[in-house]
Amino acid sequence: MRAVLVLFACIAMTAAASAASFVETPFFAAAVAEGKLPPVAERLPRTPFVVTLDGPERSPGRHGGDLRMLMSQPRDTRLMVVFGYARLVGYNQNWELVPDILSKLDVDEGRVFTLHLRKGHRWSDGAPFTAQDFKFFWEDVANNPDLSPSGPDAFLRVDGEAPKFEVIDETTVRYTWTKPNPFFLPALAGARPEFIFEPAHYLKAFHPRYADAADLQAKITAAGQRNWAALFTQKSRQYRNDNPELPSLQPWVLQTRPPSSYFIFIRNPFYHRVDQHGRQLPYIDRVTFTMASPGLIPAKTAAGDADLQARGIGFDNITVLKQGEKRNPYRVLLWKTARGAEVAIYPNLNTIDADLAPLVRNTDFRRALSLAIDRDEINQAVFTGFGRPGNDTVLPGSPLFKSEFETKWASFDLKQANAILDGLGLPRDSGGIRKLPSGRRLQMVVETAGEDPTEVAVLQLVQSTWRKLGIDLLVKPEQREILRNRVFSGEAVLSVWSGLENALPNANTIPDEMAPTSQQQLSWPKWGQHYESGGRAGAPIDLPAAERLAALRQQWLTTLDAQQRSRLWQDMLAIRADEVFTIGTVRMVPQPVVVSTALRNVPKEGIYNWEPGAFFGVYQPDTFWYADDRSK
Amino acid sequence: MSNGAPPLPHFVDPRPFDPDETEQLTAEQERYSLASQWQLMWWRFRQHRVAVLCGAVLLALYGMILISEILAPYALESRNTGFIYAPPQAIRLFHDGQFIGPFVYGLEYSVDLETMARRYEVDRTDVQRIRFFCLGDPYAFWGLVPGRFHLMCPAEGGTLFLLGTDRLGHDMLSRIIYGARISLTVGLIGIAISFVLGITIGGLAGYFGGWVDGIVQRIIEVLRSLPELPLWMALSAALPISWSPVLIYFGITVILGLLDWPGLARAVRSKLLALREEDYCTAARLMGASPPRIIGRHLLPNFMSHLIASATLSIPSMILGETALSFLGLGLRPPITSWGVLLIEAQNIEAVVLYPWLMLPMVPVIVTVLAFNFLGDGLRDAADPYSTTGH
Repeated sequence: MRAVLVLFACIAMTAAASAASFVETPFFAAAVAEGKLPPVAERLPRTPFVVTLDGPERSPGRHGGDLRMLMSQPRDTRLMVVFGYARLVGYNQNWELVPDILSKLDVDEGRVFTLHLRKGHRWSDGAPFTAQDFKFFWEDVANNPDLSPSGPDAFLRVDGEAPKFEVIDETTVRYTWTKPNPFFLPALAGARPEFIFEPAHYLKAFHPRYADAADLQAKITAAGQRNWAALFTQKSRQYRNDNPELPSLQPWVLQTRPPSSYFIFIRNPFYHRVDQHGRQLPYIDRVTFTMASPGLIPAKTAAGDADLQARGIGFDNITVLKQGEKRNPYRVLLWKTARGAEVAIYPNLNTIDADLAPLVRNTDFRRALSLAIDRDEINQAVFTGFGRPGNDTVLPGSPLFKSEFETKWASFDLKQANAILDGLGLPRDSGGIRKLPSGRRLQMVVETAGEDPTEVAVLQLVQSTWRKLGIDLLVKPEQREILRNRVFSGEAVLSVWSGLENALPNANTIPDEMAPTSQQQLSWPKWGQHYESGGRAGAPIDLPAAERLAALRQQWLTTLDAQQRSRLWQDMLAIRADEVFTIGTVRMVPQPVVVSTALRNVPKEGIYNWEPGAFFGVYQPDTFWYADDRSK
Repeated sequence: MSNGAPPLPHFVDPRPFDPDETEQLTAEQERYSLASQWQLMWWRFRQHRVAVLCGAVLLALYGMILISEILAPYALESRNTGFIYAPPQAIRLFHDGQFIGPFVYGLEYSVDLETMARRYEVDRTDVQRIRFFCLGDPYAFWGLVPGRFHLMCPAEGGTLFLLGTDRLGHDMLSRIIYGARISLTVGLIGIAISFVLGITIGGLAGYFGGWVDGIVQRIIEVLRSLPELPLWMALSAALPISWSPVLIYFGITVILGLLDWPGLARAVRSKLLALREEDYCTAARLMGASPPRIIGRHLLPNFMSHLIASATLSIPSMILGETALSFLGLGLRPPITSWGVLLIEAQNIEAVVLYPWLMLPMVPVIVTVLAFNFLGDGLRDAADPYSTTGH
């Protein structure tokens, strides 16, 4: 791992040699002429990140233009942190971790991380970005009892142990654990990254250790906050991106104070990337978010109101969007998703329904449920045959893929499914619905956030085939938060969501999605919570197969050997396929991406995925540019 | 007379005395004056042509829901996965210039790989004759008697989607016919509930007046000031999911009924406040009649006609209420089919641009609501048969 990281760092460094002649950005020309901004050569770090654009679909471009996007709610401003994808280390398009904001990263034994910053790198307000910003985070945020009552976050701990933090010099910091920490770098590179630095020069004004007490109290009162910690948190949410004053390292910086129905992000004058011709990135001057109700986003996109849009549009909209291509200057690209399944049903193994719990926890019962789904019909009826039927598991693009993971217990076989249920002692009543031992009808409620109309259509098809199995399925749409809370508490027996978040893992991807590690996992929220809270909340695992998954994951964490890791991954995948912990339906459904015809460097075939990928982030939206001159 | 003048000539008409001599009634007039109030209303109503027509339309619609299973070419659950989003098929009579009776041309399905659209081409060589009075999809008549008899069926192996199909390949015409059963009766049951509540509560308030009236009025004011739609939504969200669809249906009607009574109660109350001061009311009271008897027997019949008219006018709001709730996903749910449930599918841009036939359930909603409005209009005019305005 170390070798790879250093190699990439070297490429970035050598290319910097050509940085002698930087091109001033037209957007800032006036400000530079008036002396409000330093010229571009002084704004860039001494060794900028040089992006070499020389692929068939990647060419160096020109400055200028606005990128219009449609969003459904003001909180979506956080997506600019996702799309911008400036990270200390980030994934490249081969899904390798490479330094980005960092000029170099040294990793020793997977436990000593030395981070080298770029000399002369500045925040978007012009203040230097240095080791002091890391020190401020570590001492005054992560270890401040008011801001972080439970200490540093989970990714900074290995078996509960926090790292030793050192400032080596003004641009070098080091984190040292006694054991390897495989979570550290992926957390920094996430679509929702963990920040281990804060703009100290700005935030010190809100911190009692540095700010004048009376001054701070006045600010707290003016902001109507309870205490300084609340005010500090409100001012410092780098991911949420809702404070236009907060300095940033992202390519575009928020200008509009929320709430608003229209947000403007302008280019960061001190951004650290340049193209090979010395043009500071991003090419595009401004990004705008227009708020629209979710139901209207497809219509507005088809009317040409967006220059780059994938959010809020889905498979269902492809035909309408394609028709709009003739009238409006955009084209529709079909990207892939890296999700394990487009729609998956999660039996809640932690359900509190005393009648249904023994069934849901019974492997045979879950297999019967899976066998009684006609995935081909779903694919044809809902996805016009463009998806791929199968379980919720890794995709064929992953090196860990085996076809049995996809097909086991996933064929449509009502006879076998009925035989299984007959064997479980569930007789049918006169209406053909089975009866539970308690005499109750076998009626199951599947709860869905119902945000996506395809989800409901899939469930209707499942409903009709499960009826032939003697199960009366009811679909209950409810709000996302309510759904989550009902699953967490065990009130929900079945829930629906998309499948695995990252179905393109390799052996070195942390297998957290495979085993109970998070409350957010709809199959076993309580076991996940138990793990997350270190045993303080939730419930311990009490199912042998799930225990085995947890043990395999633990083994994976303790080994660094890729072959061994690959074997462990495949063991886990095999168990999941055999135990049917999630019931997948259809996968690899195309995701439409609408792109202005003038916009360059957007790949024709990409992967639209949250983690890893950060949606557009991994394709570097700061390198997208307009072919027609929009500098004015 | 006292001055002794001769008396004035004396005349007695030998004909028998007829007090009505100057205003002799024709047979027609006689019938009119002897007619009961209901008869008068009926005569009056008959003059309102549009109302009569609308009444006939409604009778036909309600007649249809008695035999939905027979009228619908497909069974409710019948899915045609091979014909998803198929456009409406036109009924034709002539093939190759020859009359061969009602038939449809077959559809040929293909997928446009460029736009990912489903395409259906009309195959002009594939003549599929519509069968009448035929055996088709099996069903349970009113959920009880199994049967297969339909008014019309697709040709053997053919299709008959006169109004197209939806995203799961259900025939829209059949679904609209089945949906009528729910959508039309929601209004009746709801109005029955609100009628009982309105008359009882309004009657008590009007008859007793005083603090009873005060409390009822305040309750009505509170109920009226609540925004309707959010209240419906809150109440219907409270219906437990595990209820069977039939129970949910009753739950919705009860909700609609429970919220609709205040208007009626106010009308009853104000009428009663005036009528209870009448002599016959005092007489009844003095003779020892109980309040329910006085209200029900002596007071209400005075304006029953008015009540019926106003009830008719509020049925459409019930139907629209059900449609709105279902449209918002808070009312009825599949597998129950109502017009509102069908319209959920028409909520997106695809329905407008690509599959406009998904919006067809709007047509029966509009027709029904208009028909009820005109009928109510006619009834209202007729309810006061002695007025002469306009006729």
